[in-house]
Amino acid sequence: MKSITKLINFTKGIALESGKRLDSFDLMVETYGELNESKTNAILLCHAFSGDHHAAGKNEDQGIGWWDQIVGPSKAIDTDEYYVVCCNNIGGCSGSSGPTSINPNTKKVYGSDFPIVSVSDWVNTQKMLMDKLNIPYWHFVAGGSLGGMQALQWSIAYPDKIKKAGIFAAAAKSSTQNIAMNEVARESIRKDKNFHNGNYIEQNVIPKNGIKTARMLGHITYLSEKHMDLRFGRKFQDDASKIDKEVDFEVENYLQYKGEKFSESFDANSYIIMTKAMDGYDAAGKEDSLDEALKEIRAELLIVGFYSDWLYPPERGKEIQIAAINNNIKSSYVVLDGEHGHDSFLFHSEQYSKIIKKFIQS
Amino acid sequence: MARELSKIINNWVPEESKVIDFGCGDGSLLQKLIQTKNVLGYGVEINDSKIEECIAKGVPVIKQDIDKGINEFESSNFDLSIMARSIQCLKSPNLALERMLNLSKRCVVTLPNLGYWRCRLNLASGKMPVTPELPSSWYETKNIHLCTIKDFEQLCIDQNIKIKDKVFLNSNGSSGILASINPNLFAIEGVYLLEK
Repeated sequence: MKSITKLINFTKGIALESGKRLDSFDLMVETYGELNESKTNAILLCHAFSGDHHAAGKNEDQGIGWWDQIVGPSKAIDTDEYYVVCCNNIGGCSGSSGPTSINPNTKKVYGSDFPIVSVSDWVNTQKMLMDKLNIPYWHFVAGGSLGGMQALQWSIAYPDKIKKAGIFAAAAKSSTQNIAMNEVARESIRKDKNFHNGNYIEQNVIPKNGIKTARMLGHITYLSEKHMDLRFGRKFQDDASKIDKEVDFEVENYLQYKGEKFSESFDANSYIIMTKAMDGYDAAGKEDSLDEALKEIRAELLIVGFYSDWLYPPERGKEIQIAAINNNIKSSYVVLDGEHGHDSFLFHSEQYSKIIKKFIQS
Repeated sequence: MARELSKIINNWVPEESKVIDFGCGDGSLLQKLIQTKNVLGYGVEINDSKIEECIAKGVPVIKQDIDKGINEFESSNFDLSIMARSIQCLKSPNLALERMLNLSKRCVVTLPNLGYWRCRLNLASGKMPVTPELPSSWYETKNIHLCTIKDFEQLCIDQNIKIKDKVFLNSNGSSGILASINPNLFAIEGVYLLEK
């Protein structure tokens, strides 16, 4: 698989939904496969909350890509046939402009000064990327969870630049419960003594405990009760492999391990910015009418939900489907078993992959 | 779906109308309607492999148990709803009829006729009918609400549903003379165009 990773600078900057501006910004981009001569085979992947530009394949720094089970040669999103593009979103911490970048105006790390960004802002930067790569339109834009929100927003914001959208384990807006969970996570970060109001880099510390606790909570919400039960049950962790001496059960050790690992690589301000973007998104807009908001869509939609997902349960996808039908949009709504809870969208299953593949080809 | 049946339904579907097919199977009827009548069609199906076939054909499909969710589409302004060979499998066929006519001006319903002479012979010999059209035994069948042509038309009268058109199919799957003279005895399937 031909894969290229590069940092692209956008010197013109962007006006953000919040009213603020980034005078210049970078996007870390990864591409797979090749754009054909007629430029009809481009696909955009939108990452979820903690994802990045590295969607497929394996590299030394980041290991296996977040959607490697779905994206690659002969896979559901076939990199032999399609030119696949994925970028780290602004506000993130994997190379694109974010709180850990240097503010070109002050020559200092942004830290808490990095502006709040939104799903719309991300879609707008991805559109700028599309133009820069000389891609006339996307054959398919897809993502799961927060990535699915971007796919939906693409079809709303740029109706003539997208043929098909894949909206997986997503919703037109975060639920009250989603926001509540995210707030607990943010609070644990903000109350870490090393947070320093978001300017911890200046102090040469990181609010590691806060990020860790936030991730542990988040991780629980991504899995299903059944999956956790099957995987860990009530098994005890053997002493030799305990991460922390307080740990009794395997599930505790697992969460400790996942939280610890995440806290070493993910930025605390990014955590806050990304979850705020997720909470703030509402496709229905100020009019509070999803029917109205979807009016201009010309893309064909594929909405997929998973029975075991309690964070963005299938009914949330159904709401998008009904609004799409009300607007005479060609759209399909499929619910799959997916044993991994909300995370199911990341994993290959025969049905899931087949449906994506057939939808792209049809 | 038999050619004759899809031909009859095809005749009743207006050009460029918005159609929903409950229990759409592999989507072949909708695909035909999309090709010949340029309809905006949506299928509703519960079987995953059938759903895959719909998506491969480019037929929009919604995974949904039709016993539960007909009324979800009430706000969508459909011109026509179709339920072919499925109404007898539902928990409440009468409610389903009511709901289909709430979400679309007209609906097409096809159903097997339990009054068909072969079925009557089976019953006369003291056994539940097992025929080429109704091949499952009583304990395995999905057809939990079978009725005769007479029963169905009585239900339409009781629910103030107008029968705008109807065609009866014989065992060859075509609209034969005997089936049209005495459908309750000679038709294996009734095909109805209904209106509120």
